[in-house]
This record gives sequence, structure tokens and C-alpha cells, in this order.
Amino acid sequence: MSESLTFMMGDFAAEFPTDRLYAKNHMWAIRMADDIVRYGFSAYAVRLLQDIYFLEFEIEANSELANRQEFGNIESKKAESGLYSPMAGKVVRINEQLLNDPSGINVDKYGDGWLMEIQGDSSEMLTPQQYLEHLAKAWEIAQRTIKGQANTMESNEE
Amino acid sequence: MVDSNNGSNGSSASNGLLVVVSQGQSRNPEKRVLEDSIATVAASMPNTTSLVVPHLYDLASDSQSVLKMREWTGPIVILSWLYDRAGFWVLDRHEIRGKHGEVELLNLELVNDDDDEEDEDKEDEKAADRVANIAVRPSRRIYSIDMRSGNSAEVFANEFQRILAAEQLDAPKKELLSLDRFLSPTNSTALSMDGSGRLDIVDKPVSHESPLGIVPLRMDEHPQRRWYPVIDYSRCTNCMECIDFCLFGVYGVDRGETILVEQPDNCRKGCPACSRVCPENAIMFPQHKTPAIAGAPVDAGGFKIDLSKLFGAPERDEDPAAAAARERNEQLILAGRAAVEFDSSNAESAASTSSTLVQTSVTKPDRKADELDSLLDQLDALDL
Repeated sequence: MSESLTFMMGDFAAEFPTDRLYAKNHMWAIRMADDIVRYGFSAYAVRLLQDIYFLEFEIEANSELANRQEFGNIESKKAESGLYSPMAGKVVRINEQLLNDPSGINVDKYGDGWLMEIQGDSSEMLTPQQYLEHLAKAWEIAQRTIKGQANTMESNEE
Repeated sequence: MVDSNNGSNGSSASNGLLVVVSQGQSRNPEKRVLEDSIATVAASMPNTTSLVVPHLYDLASDSQSVLKMREWTGPIVILSWLYDRAGFWVLDRHEIRGKHGEVELLNLELVNDDDDEEDEDKEDEKAADRVANIAVRPSRRIYSIDMRSGNSAEVFANEFQRILAAEQLDAPKKELLSLDRFLSPTNSTALSMDGSGRLDIVDKPVSHESPLGIVPLRMDEHPQRRWYPVIDYSRCTNCMECIDFCLFGVYGVDRGETILVEQPDNCRKGCPACSRVCPENAIMFPQHKTPAIAGAPVDAGGFKIDLSKLFGAPERDEDPAAAAARERNEQLILAGRAAVEFDSSNAESAASTSSTLVQTSVTKPDRKADELDSLLDQLDALDL
């Protein structure tokens, strides 16, 4: 991987290669063919998730997805989440490897740990620089969201 | 309250207690270690056979694991990474049936000492309509344990001990010869001896099977992941809302006109819509991320931080009936079919019961601190 930009998540330096674009929901995007884009989790997402134990796709090749439609879910040591489509389009491929070993995302998030390929209009994607600006805003909200949940848990302890 | 088939000379595989450990799909190393140690400790208990199977929910009805469990006519303990209610009714669907065995080892994350328990003592005015009260299950007991209930083999061993006592199986008994038929049904039923009269376990078809059941029996199967609804017949009143709502032909009725999940694999992966319209909250999707849909008690919360909002989940403010209609339409479109109109007048009343339940659980996370303490620490560290 050649150049990259860095965003500090606290003490953790998240790296974002500049050879690709990014989606607001923290996926990277690489154009594979004219209108086919490969997506995977950015370093920001992987840092929030940490060790990934489980991944499930609720779609298969040829499924049509709306923008932000839920297409699966993911579980890590610390967190869980639905998976939401970064754009509208037709699913071309999903990375079946991850079903057996989702830690592939931790090992090689920008390479073999890719998630899926979608065919459609990806013109909404952000440049690395734009994504970093988005992160600066998103980071505050992320911390608040996580702490909010953590606080709810704390207060419920009593 | 002991089954009559606990006698020492039963000819079928019914001696003692069968402990089944259902492995999780997750690669979590801690879970794997716990599964192994539970299976091992179970195998060492008196009158107990230990069986390890793949993830219970993924098993097909004709899988080796299910066939094996179906042979067992005595009491069964099933341990899975599912809510105990889900584990019990998944087995029931596979015709591995019995009465609900009282479990004292509970998932503490779910135990709620709030004042919400008024329902508990209330007389069930629909008791006469519940399917399980009409189609009565066999009298042997099935103890379903959520493996999230403990983190060491010891606490599970204590629970097995308690169950063995309740089943009057705690006294060490002489060797259970008929067990061999369960472990190696293709072999001769007699244990073979070597020249010196010792048990010869070397030329068993599967080397790690012990004829004495000291080592867990492991089923070597690798089922595909599945997704389908599981009906809790102790709640179901056979009202047929689900069969009317589902447009994918998942539900059917048996000869006695009782609702059943007839074509489970017709179900649309990820879609929990029918569980939202069930007025009795009797339909579970054990793998759904919302605990109430996955079979958790009403007041249960999740266990982990939910990052969905950060990863692009749309903001939604919809009641369960509307959510069910939207989810069904998403699936119809994915299947290349036309979406259907949402009949709110009809669905809303039906969904009102489950809606309250589901919403309560979502807005009331009730989590334990230990795992989260470290998360909080990390967050504080991140702050700077």
C-alpha cells in the first residue's frame, strides 16, 4: 500500500490508503470495473469493532440493495452491528471466505478482508481527504454513542 | 418425577442423562474453550453421556446429530449459545421432545429483579388455547441451558449434578452396557475385550469414542448456516396470523391443523417480520440481534455495544407492525417480487402485544459490567 492519511482515534493512529475512496459508513471503495466497486471496512470501523468473531451476510450475488439497506451483521469481541449498504446497486460478489474466518478483516482489512462488490452508481463516495473531514465530525458522535450505551449499562447496574 | 425408563436394563439408548453441547458459529476462542471443558466435565459425571454437535440451529432434521439425539429417550441437557427457550423449541421442532426441565443456572445478564414481574404470577387466561397444552409433550425432561450463563466448567458441573439428583441418577451405577449401542450403533452391542479382559477400545470405528462415555462423543458435521422461525408452542395459540402474513410459504399446518414451520428454508435470511406480528410473541429467530426476537425474556438486553448507528443504520421511528411490513417488502423485492400494501388496521392490533415487548427490551439495555468495565477504560484512554 502506497500513500495513506492518518486519523488519530485517541492514541490510536488509523491509516487510510489514498489509492481508494471511502463511504460515510466507514467502508473503503475501490473501482474494480466501470461501475463495479469493491467494499471493505476502513481502519476506523475495524478499530471500533476490534477482534471480529462472526459475520453473516443476508444477501447473495445478484441481490438488489437500496442505499443503507441492511445486508448482514457482524459481531466482535466488544461490539455488534448490522451491515448497511454504502450505495444502491446490485451485489456482484460477496467474500465467502469471511464466513468461516471473519478475522480476515482484522488481518488484512484493505486487501483480502474485503466484504463485497456492488454494481451501481458510486459517485457519492468521498475522497480520502473528504473522509478524514467526515471522521473529524463522526468521532465525537461515535464516542458519545458508545459512552451513552456504556452509561446506560452502568446506571442499570444499580 | 423420574421417567420410568431410567432402569438399568433399558434396551434402547435411554440410560442416564444425555448432555449435548451445541457449538457456536462464532470463532470466539473463549467460547470454544468453554464448550470443550463443559463437554469434558459432563463426560466424567456418573450416568452421563456427553455429545458435541455443531450449532443446533443449523442442523437439518435428517442430520447425524439430530438422529443421534432422537435415539435418546431419557432426559437431555442441551447447552447452546442460544436463549434457553430457543434451544428447547429448536429441539422440539426436530421431534426431540419432552417437558421443560427446570434450570437453575441462568443467564445472569437476563435476570432482572425489577418490578416487572407482575405477569409472572398472573393466571394465563389463554392456557387452554396454548398448543403445548393441547398437543402434550412426552414426560421426559429437557433442560435447556444458555452457555452464556457461566464462564467455567465448574458451574456447569454443579448444575449437571443438581439435574442428576433431580432425575435420581446421581448414584454411581454399574457400567451401562447398552450405552455402547448409542455410541457405536453399527458395532456389536457387546463390548469387546482384549486377551487380558480389558475393554478394547482401539478398534472402535471412531477412535475418540469411548464405550464408557468418558470422552465426549463428537459429531463431525459441518452444516450450512440456516435462518428460519422457531415456534414456542407454550405460547402459540394457533391463531394463524403468521401463516397469513408470511408470503414465502414458510408456514403450514399439520394433520391436526396445528401451525408449524413447514418449509423453514423458504424463509428469507435476516427477516424477522412474522415474529413482530405474532400476538403472543411466540415466534423466535434465535440468531436475530434483538434479544426479544431471539427468544430472550421480555426484559432482557443485549450484551455488546451496538455500532449500527455508526455504520449507517437508517434512523427509524416505526412501530413493529410497520417494521414487519417494511421488512417483508424488502424481502419481496430481493426475491424479485412486487411489494404489497401495508394494511395497518389489521396488523396493528395483532402486533400490539409483541410490540410492547420488543420495544421494552430495546430501550432498556440491562448489561453486566465486567466486560464493559474494560471497554469503558479503553474509551477513557481513547479520549486523550
